[in-house]
Amino acid sequence: MDNRKIGVWLFIASEVIFFAGLISAYLLYVQGGRVEKPVHAMSVPLVGLNTFILIVSSLMMVLAFASVQRGSQRGLRLFLFLTMVFGLLFLGGQAYEFATLFREGITPTTSLFGTAFFTLTGFHGAHVAVGVLWILAVLIKSLSGRYSPANPIPIEVVGLYWHFVDIVWIMLFTIIYLL
Amino acid sequence: METSHTPPKTLHYIGIFVALAVLTGIEIAASTAIAGSALRVVLLLGLAVSKATLVALYYMHLRYDSRMFAVIFLIPVVFFIGFVLALAFS
Repeated sequence: MDNRKIGVWLFIASEVIFFAGLISAYLLYVQGGRVEKPVHAMSVPLVGLNTFILIVSSLMMVLAFASVQRGSQRGLRLFLFLTMVFGLLFLGGQAYEFATLFREGITPTTSLFGTAFFTLTGFHGAHVAVGVLWILAVLIKSLSGRYSPANPIPIEVVGLYWHFVDIVWIMLFTIIYLL
Repeated sequence: METSHTPPKTLHYIGIFVALAVLTGIEIAASTAIAGSALRVVLLLGLAVSKATLVALYYMHLRYDSRMFAVIFLIPVVFFIGFVLALAFS
């Protein structure tokens, strides 16, 4: 069993607790009825599209891992690049949503909803941004051909982080936008 | 403890993606079609947990990898469920 995989799984476990705290606070304040959710300003179709984009990025990531397992350097680089592109598209969608909410007067400081919402989605967005940078670093390193069927773990490790970020969004999409 | 299962092939990954996309569509449709009720909450959370489980099992390879990783992942998830239940009944 590879120590890098044990390390990233332990890190993911700590991240579960981190997001558990934020989600619990959101549920307490917003779903608990202490503050009203500004449904009129929240676009489910837009965020649904963003959710789809993140799911596509997860497919690209797992196809990058499948490529390195079968020794396809071209496939590895292509799918890592596409994962990054879809991650950036997600961030663009989130920035657009934030700008729309700001225009509606919903900011992190104007209401309890704003504080809970922007803290939760903002930290998730930061995780996506870190993931994009990590994938970029791996993509650059892959140009030297260092990843192969004998050395796929660095791709698997960044993939585990990326898929975890996807799982967090899957839960946030339902909790924040659909319930 | 490594399992003897063979990791999925590309077509399998695409099949999981299709399932995730379809479940997302069902979620959005159900959120607008079903009015506020306990059934709606249970259905939407059930769909989200199903999607998260598919990603964890097949994209993160928990179905095929060492069970130790699943245990590491599930222990904080149990704490999370505990947080939410404690808040719900406080």
